[in-house]
Amino acid sequence: MKVDSVEISVDARANKLRALLNDDGGRLGLITSIDGQQLVTLVLNTTAGTASAWTSRVDGDTYHSLSTVIPQSHWYERTVWDLFGLKPKSHPRLKHNLLHEPYSASVIPLRTGAIAPGGDNHRQYHHLEVKGDGVYEIPVGPIHAGIIEPGHFRFSCLGEIILNLEIRLGYVHRGIEKRLTEVSWRKARFIAESAASDSGAAYALAHAVAIESIFGVEPSLRADYLRSLTLEIERVAMHIADLGGIAGDIGFLAIASSMARLRGDALALGELLTGSRFQRFFVCPGGVVHDPSPKSLLQIRTRAIKLRKDLVSVIDMFLSNQVACDRMQRVGRVSNKLAADFGLVGVAGRASGIKYDARMHFHHGAYLELNPKVAWTEQGDVFARVRVRIDELARSLELIDEILERLPSGSSLLDFPDRLPSNQIGVGIVEAHRGELIHLVFTNAEGHVSRYAIKDPSVNNWTALAIAVRNNLVADFPLCNKSFSLSYSGHDL
Amino acid sequence: MIYEVNVIRLLSYLVSKGVVTSSQLSPPLQEGVRGLPSLTNSDCIGIECAQCEQACPTSAIQIEQQAEHANVRIDLGNCIACGLCTSICPTATIVNNPSTRTAQSEREHLIIQTSLPPVNTGAVSGGGGIFRRSMAVRVVSTGCSACDLEIGASGNPIFDMERFGVSVVASPRFADALVVTGPVPKAMHEPLRTCYEAMADPRLVIALGTCAISGGVHKNGYTEANGANGIVPVDLYVPGCPPHPWSILFALQMAMQLKARRS
Ligand code: SF4
Ligand code: SF4
Repeated sequence: MKVDSVEISVDARANKLRALLNDDGGRLGLITSIDGQQLVTLVLNTTAGTASAWTSRVDGDTYHSLSTVIPQSHWYERTVWDLFGLKPKSHPRLKHNLLHEPYSASVIPLRTGAIAPGGDNHRQYHHLEVKGDGVYEIPVGPIHAGIIEPGHFRFSCLGEIILNLEIRLGYVHRGIEKRLTEVSWRKARFIAESAASDSGAAYALAHAVAIESIFGVEPSLRADYLRSLTLEIERVAMHIADLGGIAGDIGFLAIASSMARLRGDALALGELLTGSRFQRFFVCPGGVVHDPSPKSLLQIRTRAIKLRKDLVSVIDMFLSNQVACDRMQRVGRVSNKLAADFGLVGVAGRASGIKYDARMHFHHGAYLELNPKVAWTEQGDVFARVRVRIDELARSLELIDEILERLPSGSSLLDFPDRLPSNQIGVGIVEAHRGELIHLVFTNAEGHVSRYAIKDPSVNNWTALAIAVRNNLVADFPLCNKSFSLSYSGHDL
Repeated sequence: MIYEVNVIRLLSYLVSKGVVTSSQLSPPLQEGVRGLPSLTNSDCIGIECAQCEQACPTSAIQIEQQAEHANVRIDLGNCIACGLCTSICPTATIVNNPSTRTAQSEREHLIIQTSLPPVNTGAVSGGGGIFRRSMAVRVVSTGCSACDLEIGASGNPIFDMERFGVSVVASPRFADALVVTGPVPKAMHEPLRTCYEAMADPRLVIALGTCAISGGVHKNGYTEANGANGIVPVDLYVPGCPPHPWSILFALQMAMQLKARRS
């Protein structure tokens, strides 16, 4: 999808953005910069299925924060401070997000031109302290107890109740966005996909759509169908994994282990399609790298039908257990108002009344011809997120069948020139299993990628976890956490 | 009463599924599944071709022109198993390797060359003696999470690493081995070192996945994400991006032998 570019002064952003968010279909896509000389605000119109990039020149190193009027910008502003050295004035809780104490203040990785003198001092970080009689802290991480990505959680508690949770991320900041500007576009997909490989199919697709939009070319319909197939297989596998994780955190181990087995069946679908359990390196700009054999497509179809049957009974046993349901109801609630204020996406948003699914609005895959049917509810608790996930899972398995039924013939790969067109902006917006994923790409006059920005769905949703656990039991934290299915690597990049 | 009915239903469902655990140990990958590349005796065209070298996204391949033959050199510790080289190579010098027995205890043995025979890891046979067949591992994740998910899958009912005595533990204090995934970017240097220091001797470090071995696609950037070596001493390397659960199980069994030899 092409992106309109509009110049807007830094100070006009707040009012324009507020008006846009009040409009039907208006969304904030992301806030970033290209090289530290400006702010880029990507705004989306879901009704029209369009995107525009507001470019606002910043003179000097500071600008006025939007966070007090538009809460969802708080996280972007922290990241922009780290990567570009632009400091938001009056940000309510300005802290480093991606660059930790080991980095000196003069490291500003994505800024070009004059660098603000930061000196050799190391970066500082201060946790929010909650004071009062009997308030104590539980620090957890960065290395967690199980096999989980690293992050630090600081709970301030009174008795068994969580008063505040501070989430600190950035431990797996690998410099993906910078690396994506250092390699040729043909090699970029391998890096884009390695950002968060549990969403590899979605990342590959967002990357492909962004590059194709820069070339101004769309893939064949067959490629679009095969891409939707990868995306739905990934959604099935990850939703099963998340449901299994939730069952495990409740202590319902029969369901957890059944889900682990069924997830294997879902990964096998991807392996049949692409030769890899995580469907790695299959979707590429221009289409997909190889056309799967009719035999494997047939196998995928029969196995998906079997998986659907198997899942129905496991899910039924899960939900007919009163104890399990009771653990999930009225726990970890996010109100519809806060969900809208913080721009929640994916299952987390749809469980709190936000009826937004990028598959319905932005062209990627074959969703113009397939109706994903958005599942949503307003309850906003753990149970609501479980229910939405279950409905989506069932629909994705139906979609797999529909895709294979209707798969058009034709070629599945187009080739492009070695050089990208100059001075273009391309965007790929994809509904990953966690929600809206955005890849935004700028090329310069020489046709090189001058900036590659990624917004993982978890960037929107991490805040929701902090909101959800407030005034809940410490013991319910793992359950709440699982119900959001958040990515560390997709956030940290 | 409802409770009893539910439990009976659940149990009969589980029993109806039978034993799903695979009885084979680290079999080759199935037809059509992509593994790491391996080299054959078929002659490489040489530097006039070098298509694989140019295509490789991680610069893992070098073609060196020698007197008679060209030498193809692939560092599997840099390979992300993208499959480009095997599909491009016109002489079938580079082919797909279906083996899941790919772990090595020496970093150099991950470098394969047409001019040298590969180092065979050989067979593994559990630990040493009846009291040395268990292994507690602590996992430190610093990557994209796919390696972690495959470690998780190694514990599922199909692969079931616990049947070999492998358990994932929540503290380094009672771990025999430290498994590192991901390229270890700067913010994880100190936590990883601290974790290693907290372990009791003898201790093993397993670098799992291409990122942990060399930094993979992330190496030499401003985040100093160059793998586990240099932060902690690595004893065992498991290539792949991510390695297949069978490769992980094979590596853990190799680790048990290393542990038996050391203690
Ligand atoms: S399979 Fe490995 S060696 Fe071959 S091109 Fe891909 S990354 Fe390079
Ligand atoms: S080796 Fe591959 S799968 Fe493992 S952490 Fe790195 S990018 Fe992810």
